[in-house]
Amino acid sequence: MKGLHIHGVSHAYGNNKVLNNVSLTIPTGELVCLLGPSGCGKSTLLRLAAGLETLQCGTIVIDDQTVATKESSLAPEHRHIGLMFQDYALFPHLDIVANVCFGLIGMARDKARARALEMLDQVGMADYAKVYPHTLSGGQQQRIALARALAPEPKLLLLDEPFSGLDTNMRQMIREDTLNVLKQNGVATLMVTHDPEEAMFMADRIKILGRHGRVRQSGSPHDIYYKPNDEFVAGLFGLMNRLGGVVRDGAVETPLGRVGAGGIADGTAVQVLIRPEGIVLSGGNTGSNPGIPVSVSSTHLLGHSSIVSVSPDGNSGDEYFARVHREFSPELEDTIFASIEASDTFVFPLKEDTASAAPIGMAAE
Amino acid sequence: MVDLSSSFETECEIIDRDHRRLVEMVNAIVAAIDGDHATECATRVPKFVKFAKQHFVREEAFLADIGYPETQKHHDHHRALDGKMATILGLAAKAADNQLAREALKKDLVFFLMDDVINADLDFKPFIKVRKT
Ligand SMILES: Nc1ncnc2c1ncn2[C@@H]1O[C@H](COP(=O)(O)OP(=O)(O)OP(=O)(O)O)[C@@H](O)[C@H]1O
Ligand SMILES: [Fe+2]
Ligand SMILES: [Fe+2]
Ligand SMILES: [Mg+2]
Repeated sequence: MKGLHIHGVSHAYGNNKVLNNVSLTIPTGELVCLLGPSGCGKSTLLRLAAGLETLQCGTIVIDDQTVATKESSLAPEHRHIGLMFQDYALFPHLDIVANVCFGLIGMARDKARARALEMLDQVGMADYAKVYPHTLSGGQQQRIALARALAPEPKLLLLDEPFSGLDTNMRQMIREDTLNVLKQNGVATLMVTHDPEEAMFMADRIKILGRHGRVRQSGSPHDIYYKPNDEFVAGLFGLMNRLGGVVRDGAVETPLGRVGAGGIADGTAVQVLIRPEGIVLSGGNTGSNPGIPVSVSSTHLLGHSSIVSVSPDGNSGDEYFARVHREFSPELEDTIFASIEASDTFVFPLKEDTASAAPIGMAAE
Repeated sequence: MVDLSSSFETECEIIDRDHRRLVEMVNAIVAAIDGDHATECATRVPKFVKFAKQHFVREEAFLADIGYPETQKHHDHHRALDGKMATILGLAAKAADNQLAREALKKDLVFFLMDDVINADLDFKPFIKVRKT
């Protein structure tokens, strides 16, 4: 199979075990994101694939060629890999076209130049061929870095947090453009990020790495978001309301209403996680079952949405966060009701190691 | 098109034979979609899912027979794929008249087969190898 095939990779730096039996498959033309907290071994896996770190355990295969096992290793320059990191690492004393030509060793000069210009055109930087890197913005430099990585037509592209140095608007734009260029070039891509939204946006498939470099879940962005395997994965996507309860008659009674237990046995102690967007607020005159009456203690406008803190009436000790995607003026409503959206609500058996209540919004592993 | 290149082989013929059949079925589905015969998904994909489930049962029985110590874990792994198979069936039902469903189906099928099913089986390859020698 063309693409990347990693099986059974574990890695330790001294006594520090950072990867634990990681396997992954990326067919040519697809993009897989490794997502996980700082220090879980994401960059280490990339460095192993690139041949910049010696493989201790497992196999790495690129386009049907075994490039690394415990016993043998193909030198990085023979792996046909394109690399792109957060710091763009362009050569300051070379102009842009020379920077892009740099990886085209062995190609006739005219051909290399033509190829470089073609790539610059693809990333929308053809007009900048003659300028020097320091005159470009961070986003432009990243476009050049992408052109340089793709110019030699690598079999595999490795991206390590390539956009993390850019501001929000620039990031969104360059993500989109990068994705277009990658799809056009049909290369297998492994990208590291610790930004869940970025992974959702870019990836055909997401691999979640947890602490000690263990794969917690792999699936499409939709799977990961709507069918998280556990509270660790669910908690990656930001603020979560965490409630406790016990399953009775197939459901959990919470202060905000009943939640289906999704097949977890009666009597099991569970943790209920509700995304802020899963708590729906209404003014009460909508439909016959508006939900539980609540009072609002604060609202914070975030731009696209507001985060609203609510407590069930008569129970001001419990506070929950709801996300509202439109103008919301609680001061103009007589009564506000909260109800729960099933698709943003997750129920997991309470495990021993998560029993100690994690603060709201913090992902406990 | 995917294939069962050597790095994906468990080197256990009865397992690899099933895997090759699964690969053929996925390639046929992808070819049907690419060749404008997406209506075939409605029959081909359920057959694929059925064969995959039968394969899981055969494989688990085989692992139990040879005394593979992590048979239960592998069984749990297969069970955890139920949700993905349900998604795949759902996409197949929509594939005939929905471009997005066709694209998602191709992706999900290939990753399911090569990453979740076949790559995961390489975990027991060293055990079979040791047993053979
Ligand atoms: N060359 C090294 N020698 C010793 N320890 C290392 C080395 N490189 C990384 N580590 C350690 O291994 C662990 C994993 O590091 P790695 O850089 O792979 O994590 P990461 O997931 O990329 O984290 P981040 O999101 O912060 O970039 C960390 O604890 C790190 O301190
Ligand atoms: Fe199998
Ligand atoms: Fe299996
Ligand atoms: Mg890193």
